[in-house]
Amino acid sequence: MSFEQIIVSGSGDSLEEQELSLLETLDHVLNRGLVIAGEITISVADIDLIFVGLNVMLSSVETAQQVLRERQKKSE
Amino acid sequence: MTFSPENPHPAEPELEPDIETAHPEEFVEQLRCVVDSLPSRINIDAQSVEQGLAKLVLTLIEFIRRLLEKQAVRRMEGGDLSPEQIEELGLALMRLEAKLQELKTQFGLADEDLNLDLGPIGRLI
Amino acid sequence: MKLHVYCLVEPVETLPTSLHGIAGVLVRQLDIGDFSFLVSDFPDRSVPVTRGNALAHAAVIQSVLRETTPLPFRFGTLVTAEQLENYVTAKREALKSRLEQVRGCIEMNVKIISDHKWTDVCPAIETQETPGTAFLSEKRREILGSEARAAEAKRVAEWLEGQVGEVVRQSDIKTNLTGRLLLAGAWLIERERVDQFRIKVAEARQQRPDLHFLLSGSWAPYSFANMDLEFKTHFGVS
Repeated sequence: MSFEQIIVSGSGDSLEEQELSLLETLDHVLNRGLVIAGEITISVADIDLIFVGLNVMLSSVETAQQVLRERQKKSE
Repeated sequence: MTFSPENPHPAEPELEPDIETAHPEEFVEQLRCVVDSLPSRINIDAQSVEQGLAKLVLTLIEFIRRLLEKQAVRRMEGGDLSPEQIEELGLALMRLEAKLQELKTQFGLADEDLNLDLGPIGRLI
Repeated sequence: MKLHVYCLVEPVETLPTSLHGIAGVLVRQLDIGDFSFLVSDFPDRSVPVTRGNALAHAAVIQSVLRETTPLPFRFGTLVTAEQLENYVTAKREALKSRLEQVRGCIEMNVKIISDHKWTDVCPAIETQETPGTAFLSEKRREILGSEARAAEAKRVAEWLEGQVGEVVRQSDIKTNLTGRLLLAGAWLIERERVDQFRIKVAEARQQRPDLHFLLSGSWAPYSFANMDLEFKTHFGVS
């Protein structure tokens, strides 16, 4: 890979670039933004212990394993 | 951003988030880790989750707080803290206790509410 | 019937019409108090985390971003109209203040990967060690390595902030990451200054060829939406 910057704008890009675009989008919409259900961020000695993840775990969900398996199946 | 068939309105180019990197594979690998541990469905129901979440979080914090107090005392007895350090530590722990009390009140939780049953290991606090 | 919430805006702007969101449902505007929410009806109790849904959520927010700067909601926020009203009542001032803070701005992100071998800080001891001691030696190496990494992450964050600081309104840099990601920075930048920001990042890149950069944007202010609205406390015990 040369020093050339690769600009990924999401239309007609390689699979990798599309995935990067998707992952960046997911990072934003899933990990940030306004939260109504009482998010609590507590820092101890400058380390943020963010508990929003527990929000998601407390609801009824399939395991991460199943999600990964499905994703693998889709990419085959 | 690519659009799936349910969303037939392609966006204009200027404000599209573009991604610029010389190492797409590396970032794909790293970002995948962030996303891989997600469940397949999300239900952020404002009412049902808040109480359970608060209880869990505050219980853990209370547990840590007690550990910190014990540790502070141990160090103080050990004699390797200056009087100023002891004072600072004491003040910080006082604030910690007060803050936790405030949070408990905010969520309508009593002292007895904060505990975790770890089965065979017993109760956390 | 629950509402899936996309974002919150000041009601003064003209919003894009006929937007389609999660599951292709039409997005509509719900005015509560001094704010407008963009919502769509959602029949189920939980939202599937699919590519389509996540992109649809982001696309709605991105469309709004063209007209005004919204405060985005996290994907999967399902509420009743009443819960939204309670939310507004409880957070009115904080939300107003947030909207003011992000007005006229967008968000840009920089992520940095470093391939430095952090455990080289403390090379492995060649002598024969009994299992317990070896275990602890390795632990010590790991701890020293991660401390070195954290220190470097902090230095890089400070350096980067120094490079771009004068063209941004607010910054949020996370350095406590795992894997090879050294830091993930978010910056709130006035729209007219985004080009300057890009130039500064390009210049910074040149200075550190040992680091791998990823620059992404423009985004709605996802990273700056929930500040001051969460219960955040700092316990300064070290």
